[in-house]
Amino acid sequence: MSESDYIVSFKHFAETAQLIADTRSNSEKAEICAYYLKSLPDSANQKLAVRFFGEGAFAAIEKKRLSIGHKTIAEAACAFLELDYDYVFRACKTATGSSSEAIEKLMEAWPIGIQKRSPELHSLSEIAAFFVHLADIKSKEEKLRELHRLWSTLTPVEIKYAIRVMHQYSLRIGFEEKSILRAIASAFSQPLEDIRYAHMLTGSLEKTLERSGKDTLQEVQFSFFKPLAFMLASPLHTVQITDFSGFICEEKFDGMRCQAHIADGKVELFSRDLNPITESFPELQSFFLNRGLDQLILDGEIIVFKDDEILPFQLLQKRMGVKKPTKALLDEFPVAFIAYDILAEGKELLIKKTLSERKLYLETVSVTHKLPISLSYSVQTLDDVKSRFDIAREHGNEGLMLKRTDSSYEFGQRGNQWIKVKEPAGSLDTVLLYAHAGSGKRGGYYSDFTLGIRANHHKKNEEPYFVPIGKAYGGYTDDELRWLNKEIRGIILDRFGPTLGLKPQIVIELEFEEVQLNKRTKAGYTLRLPRFKAIRHDLSIYDVDNLDDVKKLYEAQLHRKRLKNFVEPFLIFPTA
Amino acid sequence: MIQFELEHAHGHGIVLPELKIGLDTRFSQHLIQVISHAHADHVPHKTKRPILASPATIDLMIARGFKGDYEKLDFYTPFETDVARITLFPAGHILGSAQIFIESEKGNLLYTGDFKYPASPVSEGCFFPEKPIDIFIAEATFGLPIYKWKPQEFLDKSIVDFAKKHLNNGYTPIFLAYNLGKGQEVMHALAKAEIPMTIHDAGFELCKVYEQYGFHLGNYKKLGDSSHQGRALIIPSNALDSGSVQKISKQKVAYVSGWAALEARRQQMIIDARIPLSDHIDFYELLRVVEQLKPKKTYITHSPNPDMVCYFLQKNGFDAQPLGEHERGEDS
Repeated sequence: MSESDYIVSFKHFAETAQLIADTRSNSEKAEICAYYLKSLPDSANQKLAVRFFGEGAFAAIEKKRLSIGHKTIAEAACAFLELDYDYVFRACKTATGSSSEAIEKLMEAWPIGIQKRSPELHSLSEIAAFFVHLADIKSKEEKLRELHRLWSTLTPVEIKYAIRVMHQYSLRIGFEEKSILRAIASAFSQPLEDIRYAHMLTGSLEKTLERSGKDTLQEVQFSFFKPLAFMLASPLHTVQITDFSGFICEEKFDGMRCQAHIADGKVELFSRDLNPITESFPELQSFFLNRGLDQLILDGEIIVFKDDEILPFQLLQKRMGVKKPTKALLDEFPVAFIAYDILAEGKELLIKKTLSERKLYLETVSVTHKLPISLSYSVQTLDDVKSRFDIAREHGNEGLMLKRTDSSYEFGQRGNQWIKVKEPAGSLDTVLLYAHAGSGKRGGYYSDFTLGIRANHHKKNEEPYFVPIGKAYGGYTDDELRWLNKEIRGIILDRFGPTLGLKPQIVIELEFEEVQLNKRTKAGYTLRLPRFKAIRHDLSIYDVDNLDDVKKLYEAQLHRKRLKNFVEPFLIFPTA
Repeated sequence: MIQFELEHAHGHGIVLPELKIGLDTRFSQHLIQVISHAHADHVPHKTKRPILASPATIDLMIARGFKGDYEKLDFYTPFETDVARITLFPAGHILGSAQIFIESEKGNLLYTGDFKYPASPVSEGCFFPEKPIDIFIAEATFGLPIYKWKPQEFLDKSIVDFAKKHLNNGYTPIFLAYNLGKGQEVMHALAKAEIPMTIHDAGFELCKVYEQYGFHLGNYKKLGDSSHQGRALIIPSNALDSGSVQKISKQKVAYVSGWAALEARRQQMIIDARIPLSDHIDFYELLRVVEQLKPKKTYITHSPNPDMVCYFLQKNGFDAQPLGEHERGEDS
C-alpha cells in the first residue's frame, strides 16, 4: 500500500470520520476535516469526500437514491455473518442504538465476520461508482450479493460508514452541514459567511467546494424557485433579555410557515422543510398573479382567515397535503398568505439588508399591490411584551415573535435575532404504557415513551384502563431518564423487540402544544409535541386524566372566542 | 442436583434453601450469607448473622462503612457447614472478588458473582475449581457478540497515552472510573508509566486496602488536598459535576468502562475519549469458559440478554437457561 493510495482511499475517509466522531470540540472537528480535505490531491476527490460527509451516496442535487432500506442492510449483514436476525441482531442493535454500529462491531468480533473479509484499499471514486452500480440493480438478491462482495474487502469501520453514507443521512459523528461548511471555509481560507451564502444558493456541498477552490464564490447567483433556508427563532427562555427596545414585535400566527417565489407569471410555495406545496393552495397562486406581483421572494405564513378572524391551525390541517382541493374545501377553509419578510425583489437579494430596511420594501409592495402583511409593534419592557402576548392569544395566535430591527436575514440559522414567545397549550396527567429503546445518542437507554390516557370514567369500583395519547421523547432530565430506566425494569409486561409493554403505574404530567383530532388512533386524538413536564410521584393511576378531559381541551381550542383582527390588528389585509 | 432459587424476581441474590446458604442475598433469612465481592449491589443491607467473604472483600466493605459481623474466609480454604462445603475461588473482577463453590451430597454448584477472565491485573486472578461442575451460575453483563474486549496491554496504553498527551498540552486528564475496581485498574496502568494522580476521596480509602494486599498504585493523593496541575484525575462519573472538578478549566475527559464500547456513550456523557476497559468477562470468553468447564447445567444471570447467551450455549451443545432478568446498575 502506497501513501498516495491511502490518501484517496475510502479507508482514509472512514478513519477521518471516526476521528471526527471521537473528537468533542466542534472547532477541532472542523479542523480535522479541513486538514483531510487539504490532503486530498484534487477537487474531484474533495467533492466526493464532502458528498460522503454531508449528502450521502449521491449528490443532494442529483435526486438519485439507493433504494435499499435499513432492514435490507441488516438482513444482508446477518446473511454475511451467518447470524439470526431476530435472536441475535435485534438485541445487538438495541444495545448499541445503531444498526450500522452493531454491524461494525460484529464484523470486528464475530469469527465469521473476520474470516470472510480480507480488506483492500478502494479509492473514493471506486466507492462512488459502486453506489451507482448498486442503484441500477433491480433484484434484491443481486443487491445483497454486491453488498457482500464489497464488505468482504472492507474493514469494520469502513463498513459502518459505507452503510451510513448509503442511507443518505447524517453520519452520526456530530458533524452536520454547518460544520462541513466551516471545514471548507478553513481548508480554502474563505470567509465562512461567503461559504454559507454560496451553499444556500447552490444547494450543493460539491458546488460550494468547487467555487471555494477556484475563488469564484462571488459569482454564485440566486435564482427564483430555488428555496432559501428559513431564518429561525430561539425560544425566549433560552435568551437573557430584559430590554426589548432593539426589537419589533409581531404576533406569531397559528398557521404554517411558507416561502413564496413569484416570477415570470409563475408562483411556487415552499414549506418549512423546503418542499413545494403550491398544488395544495391554488387560490394563493391566482391571488399573487391577480395582484400583479412579480420577481419577489416573500417569507410569511399561510393561515385560515375568515370574517376578519384567524381560525385554528386544526382547520388549516384539513388543507395541508390535499393536492387539487375541491371547491367545497376551498370555500370552507379559505387561506391567506400573510407576508412578514421580503428576501428578494427583481434581481436583488435583500437578505443582507437590515430588518427595518426589508420592512420598508415590504410595505411599499403591500401598498402598491395590496399584499396582506403582518403588523409590527414596538416594545420596550417585559411588561410590554406580556400585554402584547395576551392580545395575540386573544386573537387566537400562538404568541409573539420578537425581531431585532438591525438584523440581516440569517438564512438557516436559529440565533438570537429572532425570538419566539409561546406557552404550552396545556398539560395532562398520563400514565406510562410503553418504553421504546432510543437510537443515536440515546442508544442503550429507553428514551421514548408512549403515554396513556384513561379511557373509562372515574367511577368507584371500576379498574381504569388506558389508551395511548402520545409519544414523548424529551422534557425529562438525565437523572429522571435514569430513574425511569431503572424503574420500568420492575413493571415489564411484554416485550416487542425494542419496545417494552409496561404495567400502568408511573404517572407523567405531559405538556404539549395542541390537541389534534386523529381518527386513526384509539383515543381519537393525538397531542402535538408532547414532552415530560414532571414525573408525578404524588399521583396514582386513579388520578390519570380521561378522554373527556382531552375532548374538553380540544373543544376549548377550537371554539374559543377569537378577537377579530380589527381590534388591535395583527395584520393588514388590503382589499383590491 | 442442588436446589436454588432467586431471592426475588429482580434482585441479585440466590438462595439455596436446603443448604440454608444465601449467595449475595440482601437479607439473611437465617441463611449463611456468602458475599462474592464488595460492590454495593452485592452487599447486604442488614445482617443477622456474620457474613462470609474473602478477607479483601471484608476489608473493602469495612472501608466503605460496613458495620455488620463477618467471618473472613481465605481463597481455596473450605468452610464446612453440617450439610455443605463452601470454597471461594478468585473471580478476577476486583480485589477480593470470589466465585463461590458449594458442594453437598446432592452435587456441586459454582456461582461466579461478577467475574473477569482473563483476570483484572489488580485482582488475585481468575481460577476455577478442578472438579467437574454440576451447576454453573454465570453472570453475563456483556452477553452479546458485539462485546469483545481488546487486550489489556492495548487498553493500558490507551490510558497512558491519553494522560500523557493531555498533560503535555497543559490539560488535566480526567478518567471517569468507578471508585472500586476500575479506578485502581486505571491507577495501576498510570503507576507503571510513573504518572502522578489525584483520586476521588471515596476511592482514596479503598486504594489503601489495595496497597495492603500488595498492589502498587503509584504516586497518588486525595482530590481535596490541593492542585491537580500535572496530575491525572480519577473520579467516578457522578463527581464530574462537583464543584472541585468543574473549576478545572482545562480538562479532557475519558470514560473508562465496558459501556464505553458504545458510541452513544459519547453524547450521553460529554467526553473526549472512550476507553472500553471492563472488569467483566466478554461474550466470547464466557463461551470459552463454559466450553472449558463443561458444566452439566449452566444458568445465565445479571444479563440484559440472558436468552441470547443461552441460545449460543445451546447451539454449542450445552444445557443452558436464563435465570431472572437484570439491568446492570453500578460499575461494569
